Amino acid sequence: MNLRWVLTRFVAQFRKRRLERELDDEILAHLELAESEAIAAGLSPEEAHREALRRFGGIAQMKEDHVDNRSVRWMENLVRDFRYGLAGLGRDPGFAAIAVGLLALGIGANTAMFSIVDGALLKPLPFPEPERMVRVWEAPTPTTRNGTTTLTFLDWKRQSDIFEALSVESPTRAAVETNGAPEALSGMEVSADYFNVFGVRPRIGRTFAAGEDQPGAAPVVVLSYSLWKSRFGSEPAILDRDLRLDGKPYRIIGILPPGSFDRQEAVYWKPLIFVPAQMNRLQHMFQVVGRLRAGVSLAQAQAKMNILRASLAGDLADWKDWTFAVDPFARALVGDTLRRSIYLVFGAVVIVLLIACANVANLMLAKGAGRRKEMAVRAALGAGRGRLIAQLLTESLVLCLLGGFAGVVVAQLLLRAVTPLVATSLPFTADVTLDLRVLGFAAAAVTAVLILAGLLPSLKTSYGKLSNALNLGARGSSGSTAAMRRMIVIGEVAISVVLICGAALLFKSLAKLQQVDAGVRIDHVITMSTDLPTAAYPNAASAVRFYDAVTQKLRWGAGVEQASVTQFVPLEGEPWGEGLNLPGTASFTVGLKPVDSWYFSTMQISLKSGRGIQDRDRVNTQPVTVINEETARYLAKFGVADPVGRTVNISLPGYGSIPESNVNVLIVGVIRSERTSDWQEPQRMVAYVPLSQVPQQHINLVVRTQIDPLALMAGIRKAVRQVDPNLALGNVRTMEQVKEQSTLWAKQPTWVVGAFAAVAALLAALGVYGVLAHAVTQQRREIGIRMALGARQGDVLLYVLRNALSMLLVGFAGGLAGSFALTRVLKNLLFNVSTLDPTALSIGCLSMALIGMLAAWVPAVRATRVDPTLALRDE
Amino acid sequence: MTAVDSQPVGSYAIDMLAPNLSKAREDVPYGTLDLLILKTLETMGPMHGYRIARRIEQVAENLVRLNQGSIYPALIRLEQQGWIRTQWGVSETKRKVKFYSLTRAGLKQLGVELANWERTTTVVARVLEAKS
Repeated sequence: MNLRWVLTRFVAQFRKRRLERELDDEILAHLELAESEAIAAGLSPEEAHREALRRFGGIAQMKEDHVDNRSVRWMENLVRDFRYGLAGLGRDPGFAAIAVGLLALGIGANTAMFSIVDGALLKPLPFPEPERMVRVWEAPTPTTRNGTTTLTFLDWKRQSDIFEALSVESPTRAAVETNGAPEALSGMEVSADYFNVFGVRPRIGRTFAAGEDQPGAAPVVVLSYSLWKSRFGSEPAILDRDLRLDGKPYRIIGILPPGSFDRQEAVYWKPLIFVPAQMNRLQHMFQVVGRLRAGVSLAQAQAKMNILRASLAGDLADWKDWTFAVDPFARALVGDTLRRSIYLVFGAVVIVLLIACANVANLMLAKGAGRRKEMAVRAALGAGRGRLIAQLLTESLVLCLLGGFAGVVVAQLLLRAVTPLVATSLPFTADVTLDLRVLGFAAAAVTAVLILAGLLPSLKTSYGKLSNALNLGARGSSGSTAAMRRMIVIGEVAISVVLICGAALLFKSLAKLQQVDAGVRIDHVITMSTDLPTAAYPNAASAVRFYDAVTQKLRWGAGVEQASVTQFVPLEGEPWGEGLNLPGTASFTVGLKPVDSWYFSTMQISLKSGRGIQDRDRVNTQPVTVINEETARYLAKFGVADPVGRTVNISLPGYGSIPESNVNVLIVGVIRSERTSDWQEPQRMVAYVPLSQVPQQHINLVVRTQIDPLALMAGIRKAVRQVDPNLALGNVRTMEQVKEQSTLWAKQPTWVVGAFAAVAALLAALGVYGVLAHAVTQQRREIGIRMALGARQGDVLLYVLRNALSMLLVGFAGGLAGSFALTRVLKNLLFNVSTLDPTALSIGCLSMALIGMLAAWVPAVRATRVDPTLALRDE
Repeated sequence: MTAVDSQPVGSYAIDMLAPNLSKAREDVPYGTLDLLILKTLETMGPMHGYRIARRIEQVAENLVRLNQGSIYPALIRLEQQGWIRTQWGVSETKRKVKFYSLTRAGLKQLGVELANWERTTTVVARVLEAKS
């Protein structure tokens, strides 16, 4: 049994015809020689011929032995059955098209979905040694995370025994000239060894050298591949050019390779230089990424950071409960909600595949029933049951393989269509492609489908009393096949109901979510961002001059009702947490929202008591704040019945690089709460301060209009240009779009699951139709008898529909039981909806019932058309 | 002379014939047949299939009922093991046939098989003669 022996036998498969021909030749030659010797011995030619054959022995027999000896039997059988299966499908193209279509749909959708699951959740990050990548935070409590300050970061950076590379990551924006009109580009300010954290080598040029993030270094910038392609036309001589950000030239030193960094919002990276004024432990605004030194485990790193924290106890006395936390980089990428949503959709897709398999199994059972005679003949000729099952299973394999290949094509098409839509919801590291892993999954899916859809029909068709099949009176299918097909359809209906009920629950939840009051005016409002470059606006006064000028200009525009400036866009833009101190009583964190005096009226947020922010609140007047209802309620707990008129102490950020300071602020009013971020979270506590007192460089303009706001954008741009032609407007969105984006996390999976539920319902209905159509055909005689005995068309209709209904009802029972068990997986994704919500569940069952009865209609009508005389005569 | 059955009968079914219908006679077991073929080739030199079968028949003086055809499966097996090689030649009836000859590995294998055979027969003889 050496290798040569194995190989020769294997290769013999493919040389089959030649080997057979050679054997035939040898046999001919042998018989000739035997004949001639017999003739020479005196026999007549006919006798010689007979004698030669007799002495030779059984020819067909020997040929079988020859095959056994020259090649691997089971492989020969496999190849032959495979060819036979293909030929069989060719003879019945209708069946083949439907079956392969169903499988392609199921396998394709699953493969595409797995590609998303793999890319977003399972695959290791597309960076070298990703397990060494970490994020480092300051942790106010063991489970919360916060950014860090400049001085603390530098302390961390000195721990070179823990970190091979450590960098800050600070999103930024800048205006870039394009054909006269400035464009806002998103970028990232980072430390010099940022790209060492990711282990990324530039495609062209270099990344930052050590020291380029120190004061006095020449300004340099690294660009993403997609920016180089789109804006510079992939020009090879890119390294000599400059990119002007906010008017200042930055030498382009490198281009990143295509991949993960193209999926980020940032398109340029420049070094973050800490100016002396920023060196403090107050502003916790920096996110930090790092790469552990080889051989240092996460636990060891954490332990060393704890020691460092203890040694800094004196410097960090104001934050004595805060600790340092080292987390694996991958952890923050995908939140729980996203993970759950992805797995939910994956579950829905698997259900669709199961239903498709059930339909294919039914089709094969029906087809197999017509082949009993064929199987009986083969068994009579000596084929064992194992052989018959193997043959039928191989034919199913042909179907599954065709379905698999078609499915991979379907998956590729689906991914191409879907990836741009979900790209924003997935982390930037998610590489969603049809790679080997995904193809391996497709192969596993094909195997599973083979077992689910092929095994049962193969077993059923080959078993049973074959003598019955050979009887003249046999009419093709026995009762037991029909019963099995019925059971399969009931199962289909059951799992389809589970999916439909799940979808109904999700839709109800989405509806509830969208009904949540935003607290602000949504229609006819448009927002856009802009950034005041330090060079042109070096101090607070210059910024305030801009705010006044731009809002005035905008308000004079045609069609504009109201315009305002705010730091954070309503409905998103999580305001910073700042400390608010009620002297002697309470100290807590509120969200701080710097807005101008027109904000409340633009967004139509109603005042509850006191006054709003007004024009008279300037930099040299009393610092004031307006709090929202949530904050007022909280203060009431401390015995503050009417907060208006009370003085509190808030830490307010400075302009540009000026650090924050604690300021005594007078509460002048209470405003109705507006939604600031996640819809399903409770309202946050927010304190509004005047932009004139707390000016900022990165701001948003909000404009309420009389007509469609997008139509006014040209006018708005012109107005802003008149105030400052160098400013770029970015992120232009209507409030409706903003609201849409903030519910996308719930909308996308709900609609996808809904689509799959619809497909599942259709497939299940197809299954019902198939079984009923077959039953009507089988029962023609019986129906004929009934009609002959006086049954009317209506009775026959009801008879068939009752049959359908009984299948559906049992399916519902199973489906509802399944729903009770399985929908608890939805619990965390549902907003204000119980997993047993009766409205949703009954809508689910009713829709399935409707579709099922519609599917039953055609066979029922066909049953009424049965001609009793023909049916009775028919054998 | 009639054409040998080289097409599968009725498209497919006959190919599936399972355990044969004519194992009634005592055939020479494969193991012994291998030995006989190898020995024949060693003694007689290269021969084609018919000649080998006739030679074995003659030497055994028709004591053993050998289906002549049954050497072909044995021959292909021996060829796959590398103990014989084939060459194309012309038969006495001017037909192209395969000639089989012993390889060096085959010669060695013959020695091994002979030794086994000797040992088996010795043991059996000794067991049969054992008195007490």
